[in-house]
Amino acid sequence: MIRMQPVLYHLARLILAMVFVYAGAVKMQDVVAFAGHVAAYQILPYAANYLVASTLPYVEFLAGVMLLLNLRVRPALMTVGAMTVVFMVALVSVLLRGLEIDCGCFNPGGGQETTAGVALLRDIALLVLIIVAWWLRSRITALDSGRGTRNVESHR
Amino acid sequence: MFDDLKRICLEACVLMAFGALFGLTLNHRLVMDAFSGRLVPPQRPVLEENAPLTLPVPVLIEEVQQVLSSGGLVVDARSPELFAMGHIDGAVSLPIDEFDSALPQFLDHVPRDRIIITYCSGFGCPDSFDLGVRLIGSGYLDVRVFEGGYPEWRDAGLPVAGEGL
Repeated sequence: MIRMQPVLYHLARLILAMVFVYAGAVKMQDVVAFAGHVAAYQILPYAANYLVASTLPYVEFLAGVMLLLNLRVRPALMTVGAMTVVFMVALVSVLLRGLEIDCGCFNPGGGQETTAGVALLRDIALLVLIIVAWWLRSRITALDSGRGTRNVESHR
Repeated sequence: MFDDLKRICLEACVLMAFGALFGLTLNHRLVMDAFSGRLVPPQRPVLEENAPLTLPVPVLIEEVQQVLSSGGLVVDARSPELFAMGHIDGAVSLPIDEFDSALPQFLDHVPRDRIIITYCSGFGCPDSFDLGVRLIGSGYLDVRVFEGGYPEWRDAGLPVAGEGL
């Protein structure tokens, strides 16, 4: 089981990296269309939709790249985790208000529609993956530093 | 352990700031346009691409002015109260909530081939689009939707009517 942990960790990390790099990249292609999707949530005032649309995809992309490169993994996980939680709150509010909109998560150009309920389930899965990756990363870090001190002692 | 978490939080903030800054740099014109009211309306994603004739066409503010001056009809989808407070000068009120009861009269007065532009309270508001779809369903041949709505029109300093706040 211990030996499986690095494999699981890299698997979770790479899945998350691909999801967020893709989500960011696809929305960067058409920021204005994404602004329309954000507006459909009817949460933010008029112009703020554009502010979100022109920053969020880039944060998603950057965090995804960090995960892909295995650099600053826990800060990147915290970033995507915080975003996922915000998405979930927005989706719950959409469900409560009974709005029938496309979630705008991945595909601003139209194509197949993803309802808020499906998107919410998907976000729950992402959040689980994020927590697992975080936990494994912490264990690996602790193990590495533990081994490091032992080596230092044996050299003395 | 706690120091560790603090460092991770800080680094996450830096990461977010970098991403946001990068996005703002690339899109600064769009954001500035949005906040100054000179807005490019976001294209509402057309979900049924095989049925374009049943959906109203989005138009820009210039086209609304043109259509108004060339005999087209601008229709306000918002509530009668909001209409009374302020609306595009020359617009008629057809609240989406009263569509079914108001339709017969509307049909009597407005010929089917007249150009119609619907609007409501801006991008967060789906009523103008829904009204457009219903008008097309009632037989109107050329229905367009001004998604910037009353806020964009008013902020552009174009003529409005109504009693104000």
